[in-house]
Amino acid sequence: MKMTSMLKYCISLIGCLSLCMSLHAQEDATTTTDSLVVKHKYGLRVGVDISKLVQTFLESDYSGLELNADYRLSDRIYVAGEIGNEEQTTSTDYLNSTAKGAYLKVGADYNMYNNWAGMDNLVYSGIRFGISNFDQQLNSYTIYDVNNSTWGQTEVLEGENFKGLSATWIELVFGFKAEVLNNLFVGLNMQMKGRLSEKEPNNFENSYIPGFGRTFDSGNFGIGFGYNISYLIPLLKKAKK
Amino acid sequence: MKKHSLIFSLITLLFISCEKDDICPETTQTTPRLVIEFYDLTNPDETLAVPGLFAIGLDNDDAQVPITNEIVTTRSLIALPLKTDATETEFLLYKSYDIVEGEIIGNPDKIKITYATEYVYVSRACGYKTIFDIQTFAITPDEDLWMIGSDIINEKLTNENDIHVKILH
Repeated sequence: MKMTSMLKYCISLIGCLSLCMSLHAQEDATTTTDSLVVKHKYGLRVGVDISKLVQTFLESDYSGLELNADYRLSDRIYVAGEIGNEEQTTSTDYLNSTAKGAYLKVGADYNMYNNWAGMDNLVYSGIRFGISNFDQQLNSYTIYDVNNSTWGQTEVLEGENFKGLSATWIELVFGFKAEVLNNLFVGLNMQMKGRLSEKEPNNFENSYIPGFGRTFDSGNFGIGFGYNISYLIPLLKKAKK
Repeated sequence: MKKHSLIFSLITLLFISCEKDDICPETTQTTPRLVIEFYDLTNPDETLAVPGLFAIGLDNDDAQVPITNEIVTTRSLIALPLKTDATETEFLLYKSYDIVEGEIIGNPDKIKITYATEYVYVSRACGYKTIFDIQTFAITPDEDLWMIGSDIINEKLTNENDIHVKILH
C-alpha cells in the first residue's frame, strides 16, 4: 500500500513537472507574427491508465485495466470515455469480499487552458456517466460483537457469491494532459463521483464497484484518480478561429 | 497563478488518497445481549432488585467462564452475552454472591437459553451482527432455587433496549 502511494506521488510529480516544463516552454516561445495561421491538431487520442497497471503488478488484492479515448469536437470540447475492468478484494477487520466486473464511462471534457501558438495541452474539467456490471464474492466475515471477550469471536468462512450486480453514477473530472513528445500525452486526473443507482446483494452491500471505486458508509459519493499515457492520432489540422 | 493552483490541487489530491480506516460507531446497535429483569414474586408487576447479583458463564464442559465487566451488584436488570456460534448458552446466576475467607458463598441457580441465530449485515465498518430468536428459557431445578418463575416476554432478541426475559423471585 505504502509503495503504491509513493509511486502515485512520483508519477504525479513527474506529471506536474512535465506540465510545468511545457508551460514554461510556452512562455519562452517567440511570439508568432499576425500573418501566420496557427493550426491545432484534431484527432482521436487513445490511452491507458498506468496507475491501474502499476497497482495490478504491486498489489495482490487488485487487478485492473482501463483504456481511455477522446475525440476533439471543437477548439475546447472533446467527447471522452473510458472502458475497463477491475477486480478488487476489500478487507476490513470484519469483512473480506471481492468485487469483479467491467465498466464504461462516457461524457465530455472542456479544455479551460489557453494554449499558446501550436500547442495542444489541456487543463480540463469534464463530466461522465458511468455504468458497471459486476459480481461480488463474500469470502469471509467476523461477527461484530462488542461483548465477544466472554465467548470469543465467531468467524464465518463459507461466503456467498452475488451475481448480476450493477451500478450507475455521474462523475466530475478535473485534470490535465500535457504533450511531452510529439502526439504523446501524459495526464493526471481526479474524479468525484455520485452514485445514481445500484443493485445491492441481499444481506450485504457493494463494498467496491468497478469503475466507481470503494463505497462509503456515510453516503453515495466516491473518489478516483487516473494517471494516463495517451497517443493522439492526428486526423486533421484546423486553424483556431 | 495557474501553476500554483495546479500544485495546490495535486497536494489536495494526495491528501484525499490517504483514506482513514472505517470504525464502527459505538451508537450502532450490533450483536445484542440478553436482557433479564427481576420481578417481585408477591407483586409480579413490580421489579425487585436481587442482592449481590453475579453471573458466570458455563462452557460446553460446564466449566465456569467469567463474563467481562460483570461485577457483584444489587440490581434488578442484567445483560448477558450469548454465544454467537452456538444455539444454546448456560449461565450461573448467584444471589448474595460473596467471597468469605476464600470460600464463595451465595446461592447459584443455573439457567439455559436455547435460540436460533441469524447473521445480519450492518454496514461496511461494522460488518455483520447476530440477532437471536429465543426458543426456550429454563431454570435448572436444584434444592435451593431463588428464582421461582420465568417468562420470555420478547423472543426476538434484536437490541438491548427491550427486556427479553422476566424472572420472578
